[in-house]
Amino acid sequence: MGEPKEYLYVITAYTENSVGLLSSIAGIFTRRSLNIEKLLVYPSKVEGIHKFKIHTRTTPVRAREVVLQIEKKVDVIRAFAVVDDERSPREAAIVREFLKNRDKNNI
Amino acid sequence: MTGAEILMESLLAQGVDTVFGYPGGQIMPVYDKLYDYSDRLRHILVRHEQGAIHAAQGYARVKNVPGTVMVTSGPGATNVVTGIADAMIDSTPVVVIAGQVSNAALGTDAFQETDFVNLTTPITKWTYQIRRPEDVAWAVARAYYIASSGRPGPVVLDFTKDGQTGLAEYVPARCDYIRSYVTDHEPSDALLTRAAAMIDAAQRPFVVFGHGIVLSGAEDALKAFLYKGDIPAGSTLLGLSSLDSDDTHFKGMLGMHGNLAPNVMTQNCDLLIAVGMRFDDRVTGTVKTYAKQAKVIHIDIDPSEIGKIISVDLGILGDAKQVLTRLTELIGSRTRTEWNHFTDDIKAVEKLKVINPELRPGDGAINPGEVVDIVAKVCQGDAIVVTDVGQNQMLAARYSRFKGVSASFVTSGGLGTMGFGLPAAMGAKVALPGRRVCLFVGDGGFQMTMQELGTLMQEGIGVKIVLVNNNWLGNVRQWQELFLGKRYSATRMLNPEYSRIAEAYGISYDSVEDRADLLPAVERLFADDAPAILQVHVREEANVFPMIPPGKSVSEIMLNKTEWI
Ligand SMILES: Cc1ncc(C[n+]2csc(CCOP(=O)(O)OP(=O)(O)O)c2C)c(N)n1
Repeated sequence: MGEPKEYLYVITAYTENSVGLLSSIAGIFTRRSLNIEKLLVYPSKVEGIHKFKIHTRTTPVRAREVVLQIEKKVDVIRAFAVVDDERSPREAAIVREFLKNRDKNNI
Repeated sequence: MTGAEILMESLLAQGVDTVFGYPGGQIMPVYDKLYDYSDRLRHILVRHEQGAIHAAQGYARVKNVPGTVMVTSGPGATNVVTGIADAMIDSTPVVVIAGQVSNAALGTDAFQETDFVNLTTPITKWTYQIRRPEDVAWAVARAYYIASSGRPGPVVLDFTKDGQTGLAEYVPARCDYIRSYVTDHEPSDALLTRAAAMIDAAQRPFVVFGHGIVLSGAEDALKAFLYKGDIPAGSTLLGLSSLDSDDTHFKGMLGMHGNLAPNVMTQNCDLLIAVGMRFDDRVTGTVKTYAKQAKVIHIDIDPSEIGKIISVDLGILGDAKQVLTRLTELIGSRTRTEWNHFTDDIKAVEKLKVINPELRPGDGAINPGEVVDIVAKVCQGDAIVVTDVGQNQMLAARYSRFKGVSASFVTSGGLGTMGFGLPAAMGAKVALPGRRVCLFVGDGGFQMTMQELGTLMQEGIGVKIVLVNNNWLGNVRQWQELFLGKRYSATRMLNPEYSRIAEAYGISYDSVEDRADLLPAVERLFADDAPAILQVHVREEANVFPMIPPGKSVSEIMLNKTEWI
């Protein structure tokens, strides 16, 4: 068994717009010595929700781990990891659906 | 009201009755207000902020509610960092309220300013800087909710001077829902049915359980599950006391210094059912050979734990109590007599090769394990056992006996923080003054937070301290002896005259060197409820066995210096 293969992942996180989240998410990468190749933070297509888009080169196992660690942050709504060129356009819809269910519970 | 007063009201609204803390410049408005609330909020003045956080942890662990810490900015805040990290890895709910410089001074390297939010972000569930009095009630409600819900953990509120002194109306706040934070995982019926089918089909199922049982109050649910399926179980260090030590289904503690039977069962079961535990390397040894023959079901409330260390056949996200209760309804009633007796021989081996030599050595110096054994005899399983870190901790875990009351074992598991013991014991006794609290501590760890004797003295907190003195940093010395050719680098420790330290603090003191004096001394120790120290001089180069050497497989266990199984 050789080293597991690395891919260029796009990790996206849909989040509340709160102070300190960038460094909190960045810390998850630093701790695992993952280099961030590219980083974008901007308002997402879902109203009131921000989006982090982070490119990093890593293994599938690590990518899953990072997604779960990001989602564990209180102000993160959902996170996803996909290999660059087959990016799913459904993420925003998943987040909308998630919020719809959550907000229903709130009543 | 000022922000400081809103804080007081908000803490009371959360049911807080005790605060462990230490004042200073940037938290003075809060302390000034505390003066008016001293009839409703008991403040315990520690001797070092590390003591405050460990005390809050001890309080939280035995009471299963968040502990509260109050410290000043800068050095006061950084002094609690160790405890925050400890609470994070051991899932302990604590809320730390730290002073901070005024809003205008933020980021200017003002006197006693540290970037506490950034310092603590990786080791908290949530960290928030309160800059306005209007935000206090909201932030406090959210802090206690986050600390205690889901997988519990530490929360930091960094409270600036303006937040404390500014004026706002107090509007009580509640928080039991955050849309981005999911804790109410409900496993589907289909998933549970699959799990039940796997359990029913298993010939040799084995449960490994951890702290999650205590945190979710799943003790009875666990027992019902084990009895219905006739399934044996082993506990992690932090799961201890949630099942009675003499329960027929309880096979002992897992891992590096655990009992032989549960480690052997791990390697011989056909289904491993993990509940509220996280496969720490002290439990698994090398994961390359860990339970490879078995299917694995992992039940946990934290999605990031499932599949993190061990790949699982079935992951069930949910609260341990809920999941176990539903599984118990679904599984068949079975007897698995032969499997339950599978480790009888190996248990006899442990008794012969490890336990008897430790607890009944004949003559010579007292073994450290004997001390734990005698305390267990005298306390009859009803004491809260608190430990420090090292050999004292492993022996306390191995030889304490628990009966009837869960959350009776408090130790620093994931971080292994020396110095945790004395302040944690203090917090446990404050939380449950009606219980006996016994601390086992080594001479190294005791000296790390020994100043808290001052707190015991001032507050009259009746912790019983059993100082297991081997004149070494025993745990490290053991590794040096076994794996580094006895090159005792920096592990010999010259000790002070503890009787005089006890005397200085007005704490009663006793010391034992001979085996014959041990039982009477322990009986005297527990005869009243006042703080006391019993120093036991034990065999200096004693080792803790069995031992799975670091990096080895759970199947490679040292029974002593020359024999393995
Ligand atoms: C704060 C901290 N520093 C260092 C260690 C490493 N360490 C683990 S056990 C141990 C020795 C403990 O010695 P002592 O407190 O005398 O207890 P004993 O093992 O002899 O029972 C050391 C140094 C640690 N766990 N925590």
